[in-house]
Amino acid sequence: MQFTLFVPGDSWMHRLDPMSKVLLTVIGLVCTFLLPGHLAPALLLAASLVLLASAGVLRRSTAVFAGVSLIAVTFFVVQGLVYAGNQHPALAIGPVTFYREGLLLGLRLTLRLYNILASSLILILTNRPSDLVESLMRRGLPSRFGYVIIAVLQIIPTMVEASARITDAQRSRGMETEGSLWVRLRAFIPLMGPLVTSSLIATEERALALEVRGFASNRRLTFLHEESIPGYAWPVRIAALAVLALGIAGRVMLS
Amino acid sequence: MSLIRVENLRYRYPRQSALALDGVSFTVEPGEFVGIVGPNKAGKSTLCQALVGLVPHFYKGAIGGKVEVAGLDVHTTSVGEVSRRAGLVFQSPFTQMSGAKFSVYEEVAFGLERAGIPRDEMIRRIEWSLRLLGLWDLRDRSPFALSGGQMQRLAIASVLVMQPEVLILDEPTSQLDPAGTSEVFAAVGDLCRQGMAVVMAEHKVDRIAARADKVLVLNRGRVLAWGPPGEVFSLDGLEEHGVAVPAVTRAARELGWREQGGTYPVTVEAAARIGGAALGRDQG
Repeated sequence: MQFTLFVPGDSWMHRLDPMSKVLLTVIGLVCTFLLPGHLAPALLLAASLVLLASAGVLRRSTAVFAGVSLIAVTFFVVQGLVYAGNQHPALAIGPVTFYREGLLLGLRLTLRLYNILASSLILILTNRPSDLVESLMRRGLPSRFGYVIIAVLQIIPTMVEASARITDAQRSRGMETEGSLWVRLRAFIPLMGPLVTSSLIATEERALALEVRGFASNRRLTFLHEESIPGYAWPVRIAALAVLALGIAGRVMLS
Repeated sequence: MSLIRVENLRYRYPRQSALALDGVSFTVEPGEFVGIVGPNKAGKSTLCQALVGLVPHFYKGAIGGKVEVAGLDVHTTSVGEVSRRAGLVFQSPFTQMSGAKFSVYEEVAFGLERAGIPRDEMIRRIEWSLRLLGLWDLRDRSPFALSGGQMQRLAIASVLVMQPEVLILDEPTSQLDPAGTSEVFAAVGDLCRQGMAVVMAEHKVDRIAARADKVLVLNRGRVLAWGPPGEVFSLDGLEEHGVAVPAVTRAARELGWREQGGTYPVTVEAAARIGGAALGRDQG
């Protein structure tokens, strides 16, 4: 139980170590802002989609892409209508005229948006957050930070559960919790008291329990799971860096 | 050498006027199982926490006397240091889960990772503790998907895996059914035979009377009685202080069934033996 978009799987991308996936995502993000024009960003997006598809998470990605399509549409509409550089009319629907320059800018912005999403999804969908944090802890992230990040991800669902339980208890004693928006809003206030109080108490108890389980230990950490870096990790990393180098070279030569 | 030595321990929580612990003294030898009983608010949990140093290091407040656990002076040693030698299991299992692990197996590993135990050793110890508490078949489940009793046993396993010399349990069977309770007491018996000292605060006096080597009775922070269960539960006036006495002992007292030493029996078996003899005489 965890608050995450991670899709479990056994693809080559899932088996790739978290640090390599971080590298892929970071390079994807850098290239998004590095690559000029339309063709190069479109190729980058295609490459990201191929990676997502090979990891078997394309369907989940499509759901995310569809979710933000509204933003993409507004890019086209707003830029097509009112972009300052608009000169050549491209399309007229009744009294509304879209301009070529604005639509192209909309396309660039949309490509940028989807490139950011696609690069991030590589990491988000194929990587368990705790694996990434553990990788970072192996490389010197203080274990307290690591613990906080992982615990927060896991505490959210338990808090959702606790609030459902409190609401049920209140409803069973006759409180109105369903109905119009106003009724729901009113029901929210009596929920906060018990939820916050119980969370604070639980936090103190957990702090005690962690203390006696050696949380504050200054010793060097060991890990139950061995870090597995597949043999293809280095080729993948080098390929990713090569793409970055190409992107930089292209940018420098064009400007 | 005693594993636990408590001398005239006095403690007051911050912003309180009454003493939570008032002149508590006792010692526990290796392999001994000590039960702490007493009414609510008697100071049982405070005493448990004083044995690993949470009292006074975590709560602050005023402390006097001396607590020595596994050769460490608890009042001058950090909680982390003491915890390596003395494990404490709390009452509520839910808040003892680290919240950073996704399976029972990984949860048990949490403390080991912090202590820097090598991986092979970790795997060996995890299997040992999970099997001891009957959790081996549940090892791939999420800790939060367990029942209250299973979670409570997981909390014990997570502390045991650190292989402390002293194990302190604060009402560890509050959420367990009779079968689960028996399993915990049986596991404690095994650990004592291996030389571990076990201290358990517990309301189920019948179990304590049957299993513990010695019983410490607390009331309002003071020691009301200290000794073998037979002697302690035979004392007059315990129930007036709100201290629970095993049902068997109460019945035997009413019937006047005494052991040879003059104490009342604390287990059904002992009572049946004495009662059988008494009834046999009566009939004869």
